[in-house]
Amino acid sequence: MKRFYIILFSSLFILSCNKFDDEINTNPNLPSEASGTQLIASAQLSLPGLSSSPKGAFMAQYLAETQYVGQSLYPQESTSFYSLYQSPLINLQTVIDSEDLNGNDGPVANQKAVAKILKAYFFWNITDRWGDVPYFDALQGGDNYTPVYDSQEEIYNDLFEELKEAGDMIVSGNINNDIVYGGDMSKWEKLANTVRMLMALRLSEVDPQKGSAEFNAAISAGVFESNSDNLVYQHLADANNQNYWFDQVVNQNREWWALTETLVEEMKPVNDPRLAVYGDPTRSTGEYIGLEFGVEEVTGTETEEFSLLGSDIYEQDAPVYLVTYAQVLFAMAEATERGWITGDVEEYYNMAIEVSIEQWTGTTEGVEDFLDNPEIAFDANNAIESISNQRWVHLYMFGYEAWSEWRRTGYPNDLVEPNGMAVPTRLSYPDNEAFNNEDNYYEAIERQFGGEDSIYGKVWWDQ
Amino acid sequence: MRNKFTILALMAFFQITGTLAQQLEVSGTVTVATDGMTLPGVNVIVKGTSNGTVTNMEGYYSIEVDQDAVLIFSSLGFESQEQSVDGRDVIDVIMTEDLEGLDEVVVTALGISRDRKSLGYATQEVEGENFTLTNEQNVLGSLSGRVAGVQVTGASGSSMGGTQKIKIRGINSLSGGGEPLLVIDGTPISNANFAESSGADYGNLGQDINPNDIESVNVLKGPTASALYGIRGQYGVIMITTKDGAKGVEDTRVQLSSSVSIEVAGNFMPVQNMYGAGSSQSFNTLPNGDPYVAVGVDESWGPRMDGTPVRHAWSFYPQDPGYGELAPFSPHPDNIKNFYETGHNINNNISISGGSENTSYRLSVNDTRIEGVEPNTYLKRNNIGLNTSLDINDKITVNSNINYARNDAQRPQQGSEYGTGYFVQWFQRNIDMNKLENYQYPDGTFQHWNLRSPSSTTGEITDLSPLYWNNPYFEAYENTNNDRRDRFFGNIGVTYEVLPELELSANVRSDMYTQNIETRRGFGGTGIPGYTVGKYQNKEMNYELLAQYNKEFGDFSINGTLGGNIFDRRYSYVYQETEGGLTTPGFYNIEASIDRPTTESYLLRKQIRSGFAMASLGYLDTYFVEASIRNDNSSTLPEENNSYWYPSISGSMVFSEFTNWELLSFGKLRASYAQAGSDLSPYQTSNFYNVGTVYNNINTLTVPNSLPNPNILPAFAHSYEVGVDLRFFSNRLGLDVTYYEQRNIDQIIDLDISGATGYSSRILNAGEITNNGVELSLTGTPVKTDNFRWDATLNLNRNRSEVVELHPDIDVYQYGSTTYSSVNSYLNSYEGEPFGSLVGQAYQRDEATGQILLDANNMPLYTDATHNFGSVLPDLTGGFQNNIQFGNFNLAAMIDFQKGGQFFSRSKMLAVRTGQDPLTVATNSNGANVRDPLEEGGGVEVNGISAETGEEVNAFVDARSYYRNVVGRRIYEEWLYDASYIKLREVRLGYTFGSNIMERLPFEAVNLAFIARNPAMLWQNAPDGIDPSEISTGSQDISWYESGQLISVRSYGLNLNITF
Repeated sequence: MKRFYIILFSSLFILSCNKFDDEINTNPNLPSEASGTQLIASAQLSLPGLSSSPKGAFMAQYLAETQYVGQSLYPQESTSFYSLYQSPLINLQTVIDSEDLNGNDGPVANQKAVAKILKAYFFWNITDRWGDVPYFDALQGGDNYTPVYDSQEEIYNDLFEELKEAGDMIVSGNINNDIVYGGDMSKWEKLANTVRMLMALRLSEVDPQKGSAEFNAAISAGVFESNSDNLVYQHLADANNQNYWFDQVVNQNREWWALTETLVEEMKPVNDPRLAVYGDPTRSTGEYIGLEFGVEEVTGTETEEFSLLGSDIYEQDAPVYLVTYAQVLFAMAEATERGWITGDVEEYYNMAIEVSIEQWTGTTEGVEDFLDNPEIAFDANNAIESISNQRWVHLYMFGYEAWSEWRRTGYPNDLVEPNGMAVPTRLSYPDNEAFNNEDNYYEAIERQFGGEDSIYGKVWWDQ
Repeated sequence: MRNKFTILALMAFFQITGTLAQQLEVSGTVTVATDGMTLPGVNVIVKGTSNGTVTNMEGYYSIEVDQDAVLIFSSLGFESQEQSVDGRDVIDVIMTEDLEGLDEVVVTALGISRDRKSLGYATQEVEGENFTLTNEQNVLGSLSGRVAGVQVTGASGSSMGGTQKIKIRGINSLSGGGEPLLVIDGTPISNANFAESSGADYGNLGQDINPNDIESVNVLKGPTASALYGIRGQYGVIMITTKDGAKGVEDTRVQLSSSVSIEVAGNFMPVQNMYGAGSSQSFNTLPNGDPYVAVGVDESWGPRMDGTPVRHAWSFYPQDPGYGELAPFSPHPDNIKNFYETGHNINNNISISGGSENTSYRLSVNDTRIEGVEPNTYLKRNNIGLNTSLDINDKITVNSNINYARNDAQRPQQGSEYGTGYFVQWFQRNIDMNKLENYQYPDGTFQHWNLRSPSSTTGEITDLSPLYWNNPYFEAYENTNNDRRDRFFGNIGVTYEVLPELELSANVRSDMYTQNIETRRGFGGTGIPGYTVGKYQNKEMNYELLAQYNKEFGDFSINGTLGGNIFDRRYSYVYQETEGGLTTPGFYNIEASIDRPTTESYLLRKQIRSGFAMASLGYLDTYFVEASIRNDNSSTLPEENNSYWYPSISGSMVFSEFTNWELLSFGKLRASYAQAGSDLSPYQTSNFYNVGTVYNNINTLTVPNSLPNPNILPAFAHSYEVGVDLRFFSNRLGLDVTYYEQRNIDQIIDLDISGATGYSSRILNAGEITNNGVELSLTGTPVKTDNFRWDATLNLNRNRSEVVELHPDIDVYQYGSTTYSSVNSYLNSYEGEPFGSLVGQAYQRDEATGQILLDANNMPLYTDATHNFGSVLPDLTGGFQNNIQFGNFNLAAMIDFQKGGQFFSRSKMLAVRTGQDPLTVATNSNGANVRDPLEEGGGVEVNGISAETGEEVNAFVDARSYYRNVVGRRIYEEWLYDASYIKLREVRLGYTFGSNIMERLPFEAVNLAFIARNPAMLWQNAPDGIDPSEISTGSQDISWYESGQLISVRSYGLNLNITF
């Protein structure tokens, strides 16, 4: 009997051995390694999302709501920045931090440079929308659960450095797997300098000296020279890679967006050739008719009475323009006017319009006639206003960018105030930051906006 | 109970006979009160003598007695009964179960039978009949209210077997999960759920158990009772024992149980019937001047439904017989009601059981067919169960328990933007449902109600496809969800009696299923057509070795168990979904995908190896002490942390053995402490990347949102409990009270972290959550006469939870969030507060007066979505079970209730926002309708304080702006409701036919009953039309918001039980 117990005991202990087959807890469903360029490509998938947003279009008053009017009444509501950190930025940070990138995907330095450029570009967009945001402490995963909000000024300063550094580290040799530039490093280098240049212009009111210095440095490093340098995200005619607006308008039947009266009034009287791309003529009369922005009581809501979002804009494989040559030229015009660089303001202005029309319509035909319009022709007495208004027309659909330029320059100066609500000057932080990162969140709103996370707080450069 | 039968069968051998003078032969049948089944093995003794007999396998007895003798009928587990013969020659007896039998044997962990009084922890048993009272679609729903401390939150009956969530003693897991383990005849089975928070609710897999097979259910609460199940038992165990045949006597019993019930939709939310579709109170007109319904507007802020002849949506379809015609714009008060059909539930079960000297068997076959109240929904279920046992010789017994379950269902979708959940949310009050019923025209095209507006030049609608919502019948017939499951579970085992006191057993236990889920989005509806198909396979094996030792030494009794178990799980699935539409109408196949389909293939493997030992010692049948220890080794933990031990200890004392208080018939004090360790799901300790979209030929990989943790430790639950079990007045009154406390430490959770870290959450050992509470079970027989008896059980549980600690850097755990129209709300847990606070946007209030702050337009101002409204968990839950026996009639009624708890109702909010709720047509203090123009005295009256001036404001504001853009969209405070309720869940009125009738029938026993399930909500605090007991958000562990709740179902029917 005793032997029996011994056998029993020992067999039970064999049962409860803690050595398992190594394979058993190895995930067979997902890869444990990723190449630098696969992560970069993944971050690039998030690029169109920077622009394709009804909220952005309402901020710049490009589009008015035809039904379910609500968002365009500028409600006080939180807007999350989490997905930007969690999707593109962490992927880029992983490339930047990686010590074992594979040279077969292109020179390691170039992979890192592209990651840095894109990271800077995403952060620039983030800080312009929300103000101070987590930057230096961000993207550290488990090493820092509660990243501090850094001041926009410090973020700008660091982004300038990062962009410069990225441009400097580029060596010869293209990278693989690149959605936007096909791996062409010369284009990435120009993008780095162009972003730096446009950021520099943002400092025109708050720190013109620094702005001017960075602006000039960026130009000498080499910025965009034609529309072929543009940062454009090309959607595909395939459900997995389709345009946001296609899903909204075509798949979900949402004829919810008409061109605003403000935009149509700006373009229609001068026969702007871009209008035919921006919007569709009304179905009822074939005319271009804008809808007044932010009117809650839309009586008919008859979408056929208004010019809806253009079919070119919501095409399944439409391009999304992010950083463009026309912006460079508008910036040059403005910088010349501000005395940051020397040149001919009017020439830059005219070129900017020509390049914009080429970008949107594919041709420069009719540009001369268009520029002959007295309303369009450069007005040296109101140079900044002329430039800003035309830049607003050019930036169509990238509402957030146009809104930043509006906040900086105050143009166009005829934006509507629905129910007496002025155009907001920033986005509210994600409301769950109040739980997840409580101390830093409250510290940041206290520091910047006297304790209220309001959409009417002003970011650093917008003083 | 299985042991009970063995004992009964043995007793049947003893034929105690005797003869006396002046005698009369009395015979009759003994049946059980609750189900009318015959009862074998009942002792029938002549009072004052030792003469007697025992009922046979058919419950029949016959005895010769004096004309004036008194017969005593007694049987273990039943109340004894006396019957005076008084010259009668037929005496049928209905035995009532002794609800809390003193010498009751209970089945505890690992199927070990124990004397109830020796247990140092609380268990509560529910008899099998309770699961077949009214044929609940999902058997687990029948547990509701029957066990103190067990809370069941279920889906509506229109879900077709939807999710029934079970929580024992509150929320013990920060992640809100923590469902008890289901164990059937010793085999742990999966209670997984393939549903998501919206869409079709496929229900939890526990519903594969055939309720007719259940002998009893014993609930082991908390880890104390279930330390022997290790990790999976840490939230309690629901032990199900199935019915079996009996060894010892050659016999065969056939039982047939049939029930038919009809199901009707009930509990409709009130809606207004004054204003129809539109966004303004005037009609738009066609070029010919005809007014038309605002077909593009899915709201009811339109013109008054005054009978004006207008063009309705159907009149724009050239293929409609009413094309171009005008018809009155008038209310259809029952348009929602008209959509629902009368469903039915037909349930047939046949079982054959029996045995011989060394074998026993029971075969049971069930067929359930349910057609739902939502058109084109059904559930068909079949169960086959076979239990066998064979004594090979004196020492060796082989037994098997094999179950097969098959489900085939087409279920409705639930949730705010799914299926017909839009009825009270986005709809037109003027719609004639009967018109929509013929949803397809003869030419194959579909009729919808929500269309683009007609052209102002031609007056026609050229694109007649639906705008945002499908015709509800299109949803029902073209956008279908089908699921099928085949499942086997059970065990094969051998027991070897080494010595009379030592028994060894080995069991192989298995649970395997294949689940298929298929969904379709039809051609001709909203969105693009699509098809998804998934095949999910799970195989769980348990290999178990057990040695049990039982011995008595003088005043001592010893009971020891030593065991080992290997748990091995392999789960895999393949899921595919079309992208970009389908190529061929009517061809639903992945091949038909226009773009590259989404495909996923997945494999999961997990193993836990365990060893355990348990010993209990009894002294004088009065003092008992028990201890156990277990070691688990889990493959999912990092190797250096993957082996861990945990103990339990408990004791009890039957103090009535040495007290001499007459009123007290039984008294026991018990106390226990236990630990249970737990691990996590596989693959959460090492880094990996997610596979992203493919762009042309460019592949993307992405860093996942949840950050893995290679240093994770096992989590431990510590539980303490003390209790007392008292019976008074010869067991007429019983009271069982338990106080418990459970501390869950190092809980492994996926803690939400700031997105700025680059991740959304991290797997962590975080925190401590405690629950403590009191459970009370009061049983009694308030009335007892010769032919009337009322038994009642009241169960109560009060639980308090506290999140003591989360993480050094984070003091809020976000359990869930929901966003609608860009407005967020959350279910959070804060350090130092009870679990599960509802968080959202509230009114901004003046600090001094508490009055609402108003903006310049006199609209209320609101806070960020950070206002804490308090916990959603109830203060008190319970049930009140009644059984009344009156002659041959038996009435059973089950009431369950909940006090406290709250939820947010999106349906109510949207009903107001879209102008459907009666609130939007209320009369204001000016005597005008709130929709009337402000200048005519209309508008909603607003009182508050102007945020700008600080002045008090009393003003009228436009109703549509107020409800649609402010209160009905952004202020969640307005839409929070108390979840308290008292519900009559089940009623059964049965009649057992007496033997005078039975003699003329070829049956042994017949019981016919009227049954009603969910017949009435007796009281609730929440508004009509929302059932707080059925706020199901699919598989979500905690129901904290209601959105697109399925309609309640009331069901009434007949049940017939026949024993041959």
